[in-house]
Amino acid sequence: MLPALRSELLKFRRWSVLAGAGVMIAASAGISYLTFHQITSGATGRELTDLIAAFPTTLGLLAVVGQARSLIIAVTVIMVTANIAAEWSQGTLRNLLIREPRRLRLLAGKMGALLLFVTVSGTLTLVVSAALIISLARSQGLSTEAWTSAEAARASLAFALNELVCLAGVTILGMLVAVLTRSAGAAVGVALAYVLVPEGLVAMVWLDASKWLPVRVFNYLPGSVMPVGIGPTPPQGYVAALIVALVWMVIFIAVSAVVFRRHDVVT
Amino acid sequence: MPSLSTRNSSRTPGPNGTPAIATNGLSKRFGPRKAVDGLSITVPSGTIAGFVGPNGAGKTTTLRMLLGLVRPTEGGATVLGIPLSDPPSYLPRVGGLVDAPTFYPSLSGRTNLEVLAQLGGLPRSRVDAVLETVELTDRAKDPAGRYSHGMKQRLGLAMALLPGPELLIVDEPANGLDPLGIIQLRDLLRGLRAQGKTIFLSSHLLGELERVADWLVVLNEGRALFCGPSSDLLDRRRELVVEADEPAQLDLVARIAGDAGYTINREGRSLRIACPIGFAEELDRRVRQAGGARVVTHVIGADLEETFLRMLQNDR
Repeated sequence: MLPALRSELLKFRRWSVLAGAGVMIAASAGISYLTFHQITSGATGRELTDLIAAFPTTLGLLAVVGQARSLIIAVTVIMVTANIAAEWSQGTLRNLLIREPRRLRLLAGKMGALLLFVTVSGTLTLVVSAALIISLARSQGLSTEAWTSAEAARASLAFALNELVCLAGVTILGMLVAVLTRSAGAAVGVALAYVLVPEGLVAMVWLDASKWLPVRVFNYLPGSVMPVGIGPTPPQGYVAALIVALVWMVIFIAVSAVVFRRHDVVT
Repeated sequence: MPSLSTRNSSRTPGPNGTPAIATNGLSKRFGPRKAVDGLSITVPSGTIAGFVGPNGAGKTTTLRMLLGLVRPTEGGATVLGIPLSDPPSYLPRVGGLVDAPTFYPSLSGRTNLEVLAQLGGLPRSRVDAVLETVELTDRAKDPAGRYSHGMKQRLGLAMALLPGPELLIVDEPANGLDPLGIIQLRDLLRGLRAQGKTIFLSSHLLGELERVADWLVVLNEGRALFCGPSSDLLDRRRELVVEADEPAQLDLVARIAGDAGYTINREGRSLRIACPIGFAEELDRRVRQAGGARVVTHVIGADLEETFLRMLQNDR
């Protein structure tokens, strides 16, 4: 698997890949800034109540930076599905399979590289956004003592780790969609649509069932560290949510492996 | 007339007796359509084998099965003596180029090759070597998306040559090459054959195949119409033109050739007989045995294009 992973990392030199990470970092920093500005400019509104309450606490920084999580998930899904499905769309998959016919190794190497990339991008995104908000707060004479305390550091680490597990789940979901659709355009469309729409619709009509759906479960994990009211906190409890998240990942990996191993490469 | 039935030639395979490719009833069905239908062919080691057939004949599907990209529906094959079901064992010794070459357009030609070299566990020196072979060293650092059609074709060939393969399977390698490029490709293929490698190439440039291929497989509607030495195919389709002043002489020749099972066309004071080149001597002997005078004979060679078209017509 290591040759496949190293081979995949060579492909990250493409501007399109780096641009995806850049968009994630920049857009997330932008959303964090807007949220910070809304709070510090005295804006009011029901949606801000919990944020304003959490702002001066040890979880205040997390609450602000965490507002970009939906965007981070969306950008991750786009990057992953486009990257994998493009191998079919541009026909490069056949070159890869001739050189590495053990398909599961190829897929594992590709996923390993993508997970690494998402981990680095996600971490950078959080760090850049946090650094931006801290420096903005200090420039406006606001105290950041609570945000940089030991308790805040522990919460931030827990949040970051859970966020990375969430992104891993989304990445693996993206792999499944790409393997099933085998077209960059279709993969991005289907994955994005799934992340944004169906689970929310299910939640509107059957809330109890919706808490077990994959993207919601992935999102509960970092949400469990967030201040109350911001979340989303896992209604089934953190441990149950984590187990279900891992089960979904295993299912996605298994289906992807079976489909990828058997299908004919005719493009 | 002797029929050109599908048969495998008696030509001796490579040094160790193992054919580079041997298929046995290989078939591939896509839904109701049978793209490859019970294909049984061999390609001896150390040859340049041409793979010809009209569009939709099943050539690319066959090549994809050999390269492990498509699973056969029925039948089997061996590649370099290894079963088709075990591509990880033979593909490291095989180079493949199927359909148009594809790359990551924003990566340089060199990086595109490095991706595959890294994947296949090949040393970086192979990248330099194949770039030099296809004469792309000067443009290696440019994004592959900016290459001309011919350069892309050469890069595709470089990809196929990366592992230093014993067997090269290529689909239309001359596509997009200028005349000089085609000559260089021809020299490259001959050079590889001289090293004992096997090349299995599909091409629509029948003139080129006729120059380089010493083994031919002709495919139509998923079935092999011919598999054997190219000389066998071409010799059988040569024509003998027999001229004589006396109509009785021509009648004698026509009777002898007809009894031997060959097709005869009469044109004024000459006869055209579709037969192997070796029949001329036999014909002359039988005419003199029958008391006839020597006849004037000329050999007209049927080229691969004519032969191919006639085979397709006969197959309908």
